Amino acid sequence: MPIFGEASEAEVTRAILSGFARDLNDYAETEVIVVGGGPSGLTAARELARGGVRVVVLERNNYIGGGFWIGGYLMNTVTLRSPAQKYLDEIGCPYTQYSKNLYVTPGPHACSKLIAATMDAGAKIQNMTSFEDIVVRENNRVAGVVINWTPVHALPHEITCVDPVALECDVVIDATGHDAYVIQALEKRGLAKRIGEGGMWIEKSEDAVVEHTGVAYPGVIVTGMAVCSTFGLPRMGPTFGAMLLSGKRAAEVALKELGRKPRKK
Amino acid sequence: MPFAEHLAAGLNTSIAVGFRVTEAKSESPRGQDEGAIWDLPRTVYLYRDPSSATLRLEEISAYLETVLGLRCEIRDEFFVHHGKEHVEGLAKRIAATRVRDILRPFQAREPMFGEVQFELRLLRDPEKRVPAILYDAFEYLALLRSLLPREEATLKTLHVAFVHRLLGTFGQDGRYHARTVVCSYPSLVSTSGLVEAPAKPEGYYKLKAKLSLALGTVPFEAAKEPFEGQFLDYDDDRMTEVAKGYALLAAMYHIAKESFCDEPSCRLFDAHTQSELLAAQVASGKLCRPHGALAERIRRSMSGDGRQV
Repeated sequence: MPIFGEASEAEVTRAILSGFARDLNDYAETEVIVVGGGPSGLTAARELARGGVRVVVLERNNYIGGGFWIGGYLMNTVTLRSPAQKYLDEIGCPYTQYSKNLYVTPGPHACSKLIAATMDAGAKIQNMTSFEDIVVRENNRVAGVVINWTPVHALPHEITCVDPVALECDVVIDATGHDAYVIQALEKRGLAKRIGEGGMWIEKSEDAVVEHTGVAYPGVIVTGMAVCSTFGLPRMGPTFGAMLLSGKRAAEVALKELGRKPRKK
Repeated sequence: MPFAEHLAAGLNTSIAVGFRVTEAKSESPRGQDEGAIWDLPRTVYLYRDPSSATLRLEEISAYLETVLGLRCEIRDEFFVHHGKEHVEGLAKRIAATRVRDILRPFQAREPMFGEVQFELRLLRDPEKRVPAILYDAFEYLALLRSLLPREEATLKTLHVAFVHRLLGTFGQDGRYHARTVVCSYPSLVSTSGLVEAPAKPEGYYKLKAKLSLALGTVPFEAAKEPFEGQFLDYDDDRMTEVAKGYALLAAMYHIAKESFCDEPSCRLFDAHTQSELLAAQVASGKLCRPHGALAERIRRSMSGDGRQV
């Protein structure tokens, strides 16, 4: 007696295809696209999904979570300053208090909990997908993104001359970390200009990142480390509290942009 | 060198800038002292910094009256009185004064949409404090000066604005330095500058660096603990006492063009470090003998001839 039930190869292929096609069909035109699946992007997506917003996270890597798996210097303990540990409570991730205002948790635990919580809330995730460009509408408002498979970028152009596709949305959230790719795309069109990151000043930069999280350009919200390079804020070092709270703030701003009321606490 | 140390490692933390304002021809309330012409103000405005919970302007006002005979009017934050009628334009102008690169002289550029939005949020919620941003002191000063109504922009009116924004000037050593006070017209005392501009004890930076390496992050409270009381912190109980000295400096600069003192125990001393700042403003809390005498002559001029409104 076999352990597993019977399913043909063709059936497996069709199952993959139909699931993927259904999702792609859903988010070809959606409310919010989060570019970047690190801690700030995931938090933003989770909060939006919990508020009933149709949201998809695009991640160029196969793995989701960005730098949240690892703390500083390849050591996989991540640190958060208060009050960010409260968000770990929300996603059910245990942690310990290191000192008065500092909390630590294993990166793999925190990251996997955050990914699961984001998907549990109803956000879609599209990995192995690279952001290529923005879709621009009237008055230069950003209204979507142009994407392609990540492997397309990894192979020589002669082999992979593959046209991208575009997704439409009301709001794009740039959660692409230090590179701030969405803002870079605006920069190429002369619509915005990144300032680049300043020196490291952890003590003050976490506050500054959260406070600068918001609309950087009509239709585009920046969150996480993308905030630093967009606005020339001091670098943060390996602390993650601001990533989570910046993601929360990005979701609040997006809700406002969409004309939605924030979810009751 | 980390950003914070960059800003705090300046040689001096105060700056006095020459200024020119429209002066009415008649009834100028000027006094004279050994040939020097004073600009005795008829009206003194002190502007609150709502982000600083321990800054009590009533005490600073009383102090200025005791020492210089100045009767002050306390106002809300500067922008509540000046410039807020066009709040979006004001936010854009403030954003345009941000320093983009602390290793290069200020370069004017169009502010980003998001920077303007950030300033709008701060204008709407002035209790917020975000000290990681550095603003060019000269540009910021010029902006505030341009907002003063004509009738208040004369030497008869002294404006001392307490601001939470961190102000800096580009030094001859090729980098920006944060400032505690900008003595000019108007004069600006930065509450963030009082905390960030004078260097903290060297051991604090060393301990912070050590803990950073060991932990990958900095438990600031742990780094501060061994140095408790040795530097002014945000919402420090000593903030008002320290601010008194800087308001006095601004006022004496306005009146007598008297800027800094070389005597470390004088309230007009330009402190380079937090220990110097606390020694001059808290431990001593007094003017040196010559500046005390000058202040007394100003006080007599202010009260004796009844010119002040």
